[in-house]
Amino acid sequence: MKAFRVLLLPAVLSLSACLTTNSPTSGGDSGVSYGDSKAVETVTTDLGSTDIQTTAEKMTISMLQTPLLQDIIRQRGLLMASPVANKTSEYFDTKLITDTILTQLQKNGVRYVIAGDEMQNQTDELIRQNQTGLYKKSSTAKVGNMQGAQYRIDGSVSSVIKSNSKVKDVYYKINMRLIEIESGIVEWSDEKEIRKVLKR
Amino acid sequence: MKKMAAILALLGATCISLPVYAAEGGSIASKVEELGKMDYLKVTDMRAARRDNLLRIQVTVTNSSNKNEQLYYRFRWLDNDGFTVWEEEPWKPELIYGKQDKVISVVAPTFKATDFKLELQSPNNSTSSERRSGVDGPPYH
Repeated sequence: MKAFRVLLLPAVLSLSACLTTNSPTSGGDSGVSYGDSKAVETVTTDLGSTDIQTTAEKMTISMLQTPLLQDIIRQRGLLMASPVANKTSEYFDTKLITDTILTQLQKNGVRYVIAGDEMQNQTDELIRQNQTGLYKKSSTAKVGNMQGAQYRIDGSVSSVIKSNSKVKDVYYKINMRLIEIESGIVEWSDEKEIRKVLKR
Repeated sequence: MKKMAAILALLGATCISLPVYAAEGGSIASKVEELGKMDYLKVTDMRAARRDNLLRIQVTVTNSSNKNEQLYYRFRWLDNDGFTVWEEEPWKPELIYGKQDKVISVVAPTFKATDFKLELQSPNNSTSSERRSGVDGPPYH
């Protein structure tokens, strides 16, 4: 019996060593894997995911602290986002920043209306419901009832790039403002500075 | 009833100060999660207060080394029951100069946050030490 146990032990051990489960992936050894979307991205000195995430976060928090924004939430006021000007030499979609800000503000109770390039889908749908003659009159969304925002978020992204043979230094400044549309008064503004250094 | 409402309104208008965490009291440890033991960086002061209906945190991180140290940090925002009330924050890089006391001030991104955890990571962490476990409960509520 003892001899049987001695023989069985290594067998059990070797079996347990082989028992690994397959991951629920289908790519084989393609080399593609999912990374952490919240990780600090340092691939190049260009504006990246970390810059966009931290900028949106800072602006949201800064705006939330202002009594005006808390009043807007209480009074169910409406916001909209104007296109943020990209004054840097590189291309990136500045909507990435304003979209995140609006989403994060909405989670705190802010209401916003669509604007800019999203308007096309909105007007297309209104026209489809009202002018194609396909819909019951009682169920269609009426034209002329869209609501205008009282405040708009605006801003700009600028950069200063300096480099020599050893170092490339990029300084970004992202400025954002909350403007009362009727009066043009800037009710809130804040900026985020980012410095990225590449050592060659 | 009216008196009660007036007191509540007054409390709402002024800032409600939450306890300051003493460096040696162990309360800081209950709020900090280090990914590995940080050799040179240490949280030496931490305070929390509710202002403008938002939880405001100020953390002082001290670099005991003569050299610059890189720190990565992020907060996890929780409610009274310990549930997360905000999405996972991005990690934030922070350069701390040699012997510097760096003050990090943050405000919760949501009105729902009543508690927090601070996640810290430094490339100079030693991983031989076990991760902190069995931390104290939240020091205030």
